[in-house]
Amino acid sequence: MDYIMIVILGCAVVTFIPRLIPALCIDRLNFSPKVEKFLNLIPYTALAALICPGVLTVDNQLWYIGLIGAVVAAGLAWKKVPLGAIVILTVVVLITVYSIVPFF
Amino acid sequence: MGIGYAAIAIKAGFTPFETISMSFLVYAGAGQIIAASMALSGATAIAIILTNFVVNLRYFVMSTCVLNQVEESNLPLNILAAHVTVDESFAMFSLSEDSSIWIYLGIAITAWLSWCLGAGIGVVLLDLLPVIVTNSFNISLYALFVAILIPSIKESRQIALLVLITAVLNVVLGQFLGNWSLIVSTLLGAAIGMYIVDDEYLLSGDA
Repeated sequence: MDYIMIVILGCAVVTFIPRLIPALCIDRLNFSPKVEKFLNLIPYTALAALICPGVLTVDNQLWYIGLIGAVVAAGLAWKKVPLGAIVILTVVVLITVYSIVPFF
Repeated sequence: MGIGYAAIAIKAGFTPFETISMSFLVYAGAGQIIAASMALSGATAIAIILTNFVVNLRYFVMSTCVLNQVEESNLPLNILAAHVTVDESFAMFSLSEDSSIWIYLGIAITAWLSWCLGAGIGVVLLDLLPVIVTNSFNISLYALFVAILIPSIKESRQIALLVLITAVLNVVLGQFLGNWSLIVSTLLGAAIGMYIVDDEYLLSGDA
């Protein structure tokens, strides 16, 4: 088997196992209210950690590109624009910013 | 992002079939991009696989949250749901009030297939798309994350504070822990949240 196939299959296995374990034992677990609360907090903290500082690496050279995108998305979400529209508008704004940047 | 991954994979010597297979079998956004970049720079297979394990360990937490939230599921559906659990599907589902396994599978399988489709499009269009366009598409995932978080931040100062603390924690820990920092700050943040967030602000998944 060649190098790339080993990488793909190896990554597939080590990625699937952590996902699979909860599926196999979730029925046998009964979480206490404290653990429930902990699990309910995870979405907020996971998203915070995913966004920051990852969003600044959207463009490897220009860190502010990601920041602009995040601010635009946040502004639109604040105004209760629907999810799909937020994503599309943010991409459009960034393409516009990229078209302007060379002039500075 | 699927397109960006394909660009790196092809550069690293993946065939189009291998590029798309990886999206189908591994299905991990950042994990795949890191694996392809490491392959491109000539890392050993073992190093790539171990890094992937660490980077994707967060799916254990996400899979636990999602499966704890769904009702009336069974083992085969749970296993399918586990495989299609990524940041996007987890985020959209866990901050919604739905608890149907079918709604989750609908969201998550759509995201999975579009990720594979993205890799396919990337393989075909690679040389045709300017960097500006692919970079602009890179923001879409983050735009989604921000958009999902904002309503909760708006509603609760405690959640807003927790998000801020976790973000700072991740930046600081990233200096010391590298790839481990994402999962450590997620768990540490939730532990801090136990003390600073009142129960009433939380959506109760399966209460």
